[in-house]
Amino acid sequence: MKPAPFRYARPATAAEAVALLASNHGEAKLLAGGQSLVPLLNMRLARPAVLVDLNGARELGRIEPTPEGGLALGALVRHADLAASPLVRERAPLLAAAARHVGHVAIRNRGTLGGSLAHADPAAELPAAALALDATLGLLGPRGMRRVAAADFFRGLLSTALAADELLAEVIVPAAAAGWGFAEMARRPGDFALAGVAASLDGGGRARVVGFGVADRPLRLRAVESLAAAAPRDPAMPVRAGAAATADCDPATDVHASAEYRRHLAVMLTEDALREAVGRLGP
Amino acid sequence: MSADATSTPAERLRVRLTVNGAPVEREVEARLSLADFLRQDLGLTGTHVGCEHGVCGACTVLLDGRSARSCLLLAAQLDGARVTTIEGLTPAEGPSPLQEAFRACHAMQCGFCTPGMIVASTELLTATPAPDEAEIREALAGNLCMCTGYVNIVRAVTAASRAGARKRAR
Amino acid sequence: MSESGGRWVGAAVPLKEDARLVAGRGRFLDDIDRGRLLHAAMLRSPHAHARIVRLDASGAAAVPGVHAVLTGAEAAERSGPIRPLIPTTASVPDHCLAVDRVRYVGEPVAAVAAVDRATAEDALERIVVEYAPLPAVVDPEAAMRPDAPLLYPALGTNVLWHDAFTYGDVDGAMARADGILKERFVIQRYASTPLETFGAIAEYDPGLDAYEFWTNDQRPGLTISILAASLGVPQSRLRLHCPDIGGAFGNKRRPAYLLVCALLARSAGRPVKWVEDRIENLTALMHACNGIMEVELGYRADGTLLALSVRDVADEGKNLLTPTQHNLIKLGNIANGYRIPAVRYEAWSVLTNKCPSGANRGIGKPFMCFAIERAMSLLARRLGLDPAELRLRNYVTEAEMPYTTPPGAEYDSGDYPATLRRALERFDYAGRRAEQARARAEGRLLGIGIATSVEPAGTNLASYELVTGRRAASGSAEAAMVRVEPDGQVRASLGDPSSGQGYETVVAQIVADVLGVTPAAVSVARGFDSATTPWLYLSGNYSNKFSVTDVGAVLGAATRVRDKLLRIAAHRLEIDAADLELRDGAAMVRGAPDRRLPLAELARTAYADVLGLPPGEDPGLEAHHVHQNPLARPVDADRRVRSQLVFANAAHCCLVEIDPRTGQIALRKYVVVHDCGRELNPLIVEGMVHGSTVHGIGAALLEEFRYDETGQLLTSTFMDYLKPTAVDVPAIEVDRLEHPSPVTPLGAKGVGEGGAIPGPAAVANAVEDALAHLGVVVRSLPITPEQVWRWLRGELASGPLASGPLTSGPLTLPSPQRGEGGGRG
Repeated sequence: MKPAPFRYARPATAAEAVALLASNHGEAKLLAGGQSLVPLLNMRLARPAVLVDLNGARELGRIEPTPEGGLALGALVRHADLAASPLVRERAPLLAAAARHVGHVAIRNRGTLGGSLAHADPAAELPAAALALDATLGLLGPRGMRRVAAADFFRGLLSTALAADELLAEVIVPAAAAGWGFAEMARRPGDFALAGVAASLDGGGRARVVGFGVADRPLRLRAVESLAAAAPRDPAMPVRAGAAATADCDPATDVHASAEYRRHLAVMLTEDALREAVGRLGP
Repeated sequence: MSADATSTPAERLRVRLTVNGAPVEREVEARLSLADFLRQDLGLTGTHVGCEHGVCGACTVLLDGRSARSCLLLAAQLDGARVTTIEGLTPAEGPSPLQEAFRACHAMQCGFCTPGMIVASTELLTATPAPDEAEIREALAGNLCMCTGYVNIVRAVTAASRAGARKRAR
Repeated sequence: MSESGGRWVGAAVPLKEDARLVAGRGRFLDDIDRGRLLHAAMLRSPHAHARIVRLDASGAAAVPGVHAVLTGAEAAERSGPIRPLIPTTASVPDHCLAVDRVRYVGEPVAAVAAVDRATAEDALERIVVEYAPLPAVVDPEAAMRPDAPLLYPALGTNVLWHDAFTYGDVDGAMARADGILKERFVIQRYASTPLETFGAIAEYDPGLDAYEFWTNDQRPGLTISILAASLGVPQSRLRLHCPDIGGAFGNKRRPAYLLVCALLARSAGRPVKWVEDRIENLTALMHACNGIMEVELGYRADGTLLALSVRDVADEGKNLLTPTQHNLIKLGNIANGYRIPAVRYEAWSVLTNKCPSGANRGIGKPFMCFAIERAMSLLARRLGLDPAELRLRNYVTEAEMPYTTPPGAEYDSGDYPATLRRALERFDYAGRRAEQARARAEGRLLGIGIATSVEPAGTNLASYELVTGRRAASGSAEAAMVRVEPDGQVRASLGDPSSGQGYETVVAQIVADVLGVTPAAVSVARGFDSATTPWLYLSGNYSNKFSVTDVGAVLGAATRVRDKLLRIAAHRLEIDAADLELRDGAAMVRGAPDRRLPLAELARTAYADVLGLPPGEDPGLEAHHVHQNPLARPVDADRRVRSQLVFANAAHCCLVEIDPRTGQIALRKYVVVHDCGRELNPLIVEGMVHGSTVHGIGAALLEEFRYDETGQLLTSTFMDYLKPTAVDVPAIEVDRLEHPSPVTPLGAKGVGEGGAIPGPAAVANAVEDALAHLGVVVRSLPITPEQVWRWLRGELASGPLASGPLTSGPLTLPSPQRGEGGGRG
């Protein structure tokens, strides 16, 4: 399985990469970790005329604290580094936990945060975590950087707010809530999740409960969030809120699971994620 | 024509990298995978190709010290990189302690997954010198074996970690 | 001739192969380079069933870097049809590429050879094919109906074979029975999927009009025969090499691809290599038959089995090479170690628009064992008997052996009750039952599954006569060569290429024992080379035959060489050969070790100083030997035959836990006790048990080739076709009994298929045991978490099968077209 022919470029900066995207009028694709894209190239399901290798843009690899108590993450941060970074584990443990669930070691060594968000597989962990954390994404285009909330970034199946001449440059995560939980179920550990839930509760009025694998994009489970926000420390809340998970879900049926089973998993995993989150909230 | 760290897209490029400690310089087609580059251009056939979609792990090498699927890397993107293959993990004077443990525990049958297993195990033991069974299985979960049922592979990694511990203790 | 006192056979000798494999220094097919090598790619049908209206490959030929293009029409002109191993009907021509019709998604229709694989794939995109789709048939029972779309209209049917065999008074026994258990089981398509994919290199020498191949094909004897016939050259002008093979398990046999490479090579004037990629492998190489088995088990109230009646539908996909193989293997093994006086077996071998079926680890026996062992566990439940107890009451005992089952299989040795008892003991069965009860009280769902099976070795090809009506091949045999070189070192080769079973080591162990040297002093040829390895049509890697047949060939050849060495030594030392032995690399006088002649010295006489040989002795120290299994016989007048020849056996016990919320199944403990007679190398044997058992677990819980109703394969990558990983399986605990076979040269039995056979049944029995209180009956595989979840919700009628009795009555089908069809039971 060999790719169709393409031309390859390795710009030294993100801005140069953007210029290449712009000058190739939608015929160029970005290469970051390659763990999603290269299989598609190998199977000839993706046939870009130009491959723009972003890995040379070192400025996209940063993990830095923000003055607001959150994190500024470059798009090229590898899943392995998200999972292991003490700063990420301290300031956005939900993101670190999500990263730990991606594939296997070798995949995590190369796969990137930006790549995962831009690819927007509905069953992927990091998009859901980013949404649960109310992340803001920095999209770099020919006219500079624009900021898009995660909630506005994921538009549909494998579809995001990125224009053809833009790249996802950074992910800004606000100070994370103390209560967080993450649960997923896959056929085998490391597989794409059949369904999963990322939850973030601050114990006040803010609850984010995001399902993945339950719709064509990471999905905030609004009915669940209302119940969770109303009683964040109630030990009976996770079950009660979990039952509301099916209201918002619209999962697909495929070779691995039916929509019905995915709905059921959504309920179970919502319970589990919320239970974890409640446990971390403390009194 | 060739492009190195430039913005001119090209179908053929010159790459300079280090493979198993030795400098290598070649002109490659943009779409050539690292796995094919190692096997065909450099004659390093110890790295095997099992799926070309990143699942089976047979092609695993170390890239700048970390495991990576060589079927999902392009040779062209490795300018300046350091790659270690099974050949680079095999000392000239004889098998490494890890390889010796694999051999002693009969941790292979057809041998096709073995180079990838050795690479993945090398990374594991570097990060976690004394892994328990669950940690070993988790670390190797991305390497498929169709022959051994994994039992002897786990035994071999355990034995190697103990041999390493004894060596460090001396 | 038996070497029971040897130092090496039976020892856990580390494998010679492992030294190179661990360093990545194996030499697999894709590691081989030839001068001016071209690389091929195959154009494959996107339709499950269609006419090829038009194929224009001219665009491909025009691509720079392309040196040969081959279409189906050209292939049919330049090569003869592929001769089936098991011809079931008047011949339906089947060439190496589809000619006017495609019959499964992925069927090759054209091929290109180019300077590299990527260019070849680019060129494929320039080939224009116009297809006229035809209705596809994907379900085997649908394929059997009179209105089904036909893969071969000339045949008038998709049923390649339909026959029924009755042994004993089945109707009478069923009438006398206190009860009859009736169940219907379905098994999925799956495959062993060796990690190295299939491939070949072909070279044509126009000066000699000869072909040379390198391939990881595991049946060189059969493949050479097919290649020679199709290419129209005598076998003497055809040479085939097998290098290191990265797993085979039955799947690595597809002569069509070698023919394509040969034709491309001839056309291009350069060697051509083709290696399938993983999608090609999963889509188009070989699947084990999926199918249906309807079982009726007549029994007495005390659980004694009286009669067994089976209806078996094997879905062959588009398999014209080896149809009925799964059926015949099931027929031969259907008793599964039990004493069942009367057996009826009715079988259909059915074509559908799917990947060709073929051999796989266990080849039919996993499904057979699933059906029989599931029926036994259900019967135990019905009678209120412990499932182990029911089995113990019905095993053929050691005292009854040799025991011939109704279809003619002969159990040579073994203590099946003792095997199960040991397994239960190692598993702590009583303790686990107690644990299960405690867990149930806590709301946890634990299940215990037991499954046992016989594991035959060696296939007697005479059994094919049951299908073909004539005997073209028969018996089970293998050839080997042993040679002491002029320098006194030893070399051996075997007509059976190893694919991970350590043959180089075991052969060295055997030769070392006979010749009094160490295994390190014996160099065993890697793989196979038809020019230098002795071989037969029957040669190859199949049916577990190594430990029962191949070793006889090695032993025989080594013994001939030994005897000659002793004759030469006796002559030179002027002593009786009976007073000499071979030890520590020399011939020496017993009790007087200072009177010795090293092998190198004897070799000098044999090869150089030939006037020093005993009178009448020819120079040289090389022997060939062919061993034939003595149990093989033709089919008898009652249609009984020993289709497989030597019987190992095993008992599996496993403990599963079901997550009541998600239906996820976790294997908590897995114990295998097996008896393969004399273990030639315990390291290899234990490894075989581990690996084969994991194959069984994969089939039970993960693996499935799923097709949609149009014949598209939905699981064509490793992302969707799920193999067990290191975290999916527990450490398999292994214990052994050892009842040597009285009919094999070293007392060893087969072990390669091992746990693949009872594994699926053991896991299925465990899952059902965990859910039995809900009335769940497991009738199909794989068992997915979603399926379990549905059962937990009370959806007993969900899944591929309703939870009810046998569906519809006997199916009426046309008889096979093979002539007299005599002897139908």
